[in-house]
Amino acid sequence: MDPTIWAKAHGATTHFPLALALSSVAFDAAGFALARKPIGNDLRAAGYWTMIAGAAGTMPAVLSGLLMTKGIVMGHDALRLHHMFVWPAFVLLVALGTWRLVQGRHASPRGLAAYLVLAGLAAGLMAVGAYWGGEMMIVR
Amino acid sequence: MRLTRNIISAGAAAVVSGTALSATLGFADLIRHKAARTSHQQPTADRWLEPVAATYPALIVQGRELYLASCAHCHAADATGDEGPDLHDLQVSDRYIFHMIKFGEPHEMPSFAKKYGPADITALISYIRSLRSQPSET
Repeated sequence: MDPTIWAKAHGATTHFPLALALSSVAFDAAGFALARKPIGNDLRAAGYWTMIAGAAGTMPAVLSGLLMTKGIVMGHDALRLHHMFVWPAFVLLVALGTWRLVQGRHASPRGLAAYLVLAGLAAGLMAVGAYWGGEMMIVR
Repeated sequence: MRLTRNIISAGAAAVVSGTALSATLGFADLIRHKAARTSHQQPTADRWLEPVAATYPALIVQGRELYLASCAHCHAADATGDEGPDLHDLQVSDRYIFHMIKFGEPHEMPSFAKKYGPADITALISYIRSLRSQPSET
């Protein structure tokens, strides 16, 4: 078997949850701001589906990462920094995706505002984790 | 009604995320154990029979030149380790060292497949093996 197969798989799978989580926050924030306009519903629907897809997409990303590192949960140096951000992001994204799925597409405005804050935090954590993941790919 | 729904949603989110985290940590533990069982760093009887790289002086000198050019900045000039591990008295097979130099290890060591061919890597292994019997330079 190609010894780099899991590194390739991790590279191929990590960008989906990252892009979907960031998009979801952007869609929901725009939907929240334009709540009274017809497009607000469409934006929230886009935010809903991208968050659910992003949360689902974290599983292959995390599993391929664990297979790539032979089960290292924290590690050291850049890998440790990567994990310090992606583990909380993973838990938050799965929790937020589940919350959204159970709530359906018509959550209360207050609930949605709280959700938006946490989703922004999750997307931020994910983005910083992705930065450290990218740093590890650079052969110095 | 809305409050009940909010409580159910929050509870489901906590349970699912907790389960996902526990499952992935359990999976990580499983992979670590499997990797430890199959690692070349655990010598087994059959690995004593694996071919050993030649260690004649010219090859060691060639290996040392390659080592200083590509490996010393991580493993130190005397190979006692710096960012990378100490290479003296390695308890791993030649095949493992060859594989490690050629393919590297994600987040640990880069691949040298494009830089060095099999003959170069054999020279590097010879040099590394020669470190067994000589005291480290200080």
